[in-house]
Amino acid sequence: MADSEFQAIQDRKVRDEQMRNMINRKLVESGERERLKELLRERLIECGWRDQLKAHCKDVVRQKGLENITVDDLVAEITPKGRSLVPDQVKKELLQRIRSFLASQTNI
Amino acid sequence: MNSGGCDHLSAFKEEKGIEPFRIIFSYFISCCSRESRKRKALALQCHTCRQMSPRLHSCLHCVFFGCFGAKHIHQHAKSKNHELSMDLTYGAILCRVCSDYVYDREIEELFRTQQRKSALLLGMLNPFSPWEPSEMEVELLHQNPKRRKIDGNSTIGLRGLINLGNTCFMNCIVQALTHTPLLRDYFLSDQHKCQMTQESQQCLVCEMSRLFQEFYSGVRTPHTPYRLLHLVWTHARHLAGYEQQDAHEFLIAALDVIHQHCKASRNKEDADGNTAQVCDCIIDRIFTGGLQSDVTCQECNILYTFRLEMSPRLSTPSGISPWISAPRKTTLHLVSWSDPCATDSHTLISAVFSNGLDRFEEATSLTYCLRRFTRPEHLGSTAKIKCSKCHNYQESTKQLTMKKLPLVACFHLKRFEHSTGYHKKISTYVSFPEELDMTPFMSASRDNNNGYSHQVIQEAASGLTSENKYSLYAVVNHRGTADTGHYTCFIRQHKSHWFRCEDHLITKASLDYEVLKSEGYLLFYHKQILDYE
Ligand SMILES: [Zn+2]
Ligand SMILES: [Zn+2]
Ligand SMILES: [Zn+2]
Ligand SMILES: [Zn+2]
Ligand SMILES: [Zn+2]
Ligand SMILES: [Zn+2]
Repeated sequence: MADSEFQAIQDRKVRDEQMRNMINRKLVESGERERLKELLRERLIECGWRDQLKAHCKDVVRQKGLENITVDDLVAEITPKGRSLVPDQVKKELLQRIRSFLASQTNI
Repeated sequence: MNSGGCDHLSAFKEEKGIEPFRIIFSYFISCCSRESRKRKALALQCHTCRQMSPRLHSCLHCVFFGCFGAKHIHQHAKSKNHELSMDLTYGAILCRVCSDYVYDREIEELFRTQQRKSALLLGMLNPFSPWEPSEMEVELLHQNPKRRKIDGNSTIGLRGLINLGNTCFMNCIVQALTHTPLLRDYFLSDQHKCQMTQESQQCLVCEMSRLFQEFYSGVRTPHTPYRLLHLVWTHARHLAGYEQQDAHEFLIAALDVIHQHCKASRNKEDADGNTAQVCDCIIDRIFTGGLQSDVTCQECNILYTFRLEMSPRLSTPSGISPWISAPRKTTLHLVSWSDPCATDSHTLISAVFSNGLDRFEEATSLTYCLRRFTRPEHLGSTAKIKCSKCHNYQESTKQLTMKKLPLVACFHLKRFEHSTGYHKKISTYVSFPEELDMTPFMSASRDNNNGYSHQVIQEAASGLTSENKYSLYAVVNHRGTADTGHYTCFIRQHKSHWFRCEDHLITKASLDYEVLKSEGYLLFYHKQILDYE
């Protein structure tokens, strides 16, 4: 890989990171992040995600025993399943909301 | 896992009190002003790697933020010997010594208060909080240790009903009501506080509660609903007797009696002495929505907007019951209402439906009926309105749209025609979807140039606006003629299992080949997304 090419990729990475941080800041600053969190929570309850995951957590805790498991073990154990169970519809809706939020922010 | 805090946390609280928790929580988790949100937005990054990581923690002993994922908070805690830190998303407290999160009632209570305050400021009136049993409920749970787990294949809730002599019309409605998710939640969580304390034996709501207990008790033998029948006969005299009755009429009567018994002794007036506009009983909370009627004077183009309640409970002429109608032909519903805005509160009489035979070929789907219901309609010379601007009786254009969607929409396809001398049944197949999007029929979709805005329809088609979507959960069918016939129904159990109920018989059914192909009479849809009120 040529040096210039490497440099370009590095630059891009930095720019992406700056962009990500800026978007995050906007979301926090406006309170939109809290609203999105609440929306996501509602949707995940409605589609049964919360119940399913809760049942799974209970199974894991029962299997290993409450004394022998940490929150982090539990998080590690359920994360793959939790991610895969989020309906595409919910992801789409959230993405749409973030998009229209960003579109409404003229100064980005 | 430790649910009762830890010595390290207790020692910390002993020394510094609860204030440090409150400060971090209100500045970096649930902010109560735009100023503090701004500060939070700038501060939220790991002091080691400078990333805005998702699981950022704050040290409770010094000013340090570190991320959890790359273990920067762990490294800090270890090198500085700082035991406790707080997760900056939810406020959970991490103890390095115990290597786990620890919990404390007092702190959690503080957080909840703070969270509510902040949510309120962002316009979220009622953010979700998980159910927590009250002391009484904990007591009850201890006293009754038997638990019943209901999984996706459980048949609990399915129960046949004995036919007491032409009572299939009632059995079908009972099946549909007992499978209405929100009614089930209401009754199984024992929320009915009887208003007829002197004569609760006479209360139809109490009887419904017992019925739900019967249905969800797990007993598989058919239930005999004679008490229900008796109560209906007592309270809705026009349904008494052993003749076949109309299932739709029974539904209206049952919902209305339940509504009356819910508020039997309650003061019907609000503080200002006005009769409350919308009833808050469980029936109205679930089944009542609002319509908007826009009437335009043809002469001066002025627009009058009216609000109407729509509920299967209300019968004509004070509201629109069967609020969807007619797969076919000239069902003329007279609806009258008064204009709440006008000073001389005149009454408008108008025709909701007035479609000639010529249109009936098209009326083969529920969506068609809805489109017809909500499209602008010219009111001719026989239905003039008195315009308060040009002070004269004028012809007008009227459009009905849905202002507030009910949680459960019940569609009645008018298959029976009763005129003097003859009874007729229309058996035309009318298709109906499993999933119904009401967006195009909403008042918000109404475009000022008559019709719907293009954009809304496109949005609805792309499936992104799911707020107005409904799912089918029960279908009542009628077999036979207008004079003699038999009612059966299909009900949905869990998310996607369908069953056919014919009095005491319950059999598995296919959604695509049986339910959606059936000659529907009453269609029950529930809203997919509930707004938390
Ligand atoms: Zn870090
Ligand atoms: Zn520290
Ligand atoms: Zn500890
Ligand atoms: Zn009662
Ligand atoms: Zn009511
Ligand atoms: Zn006029």
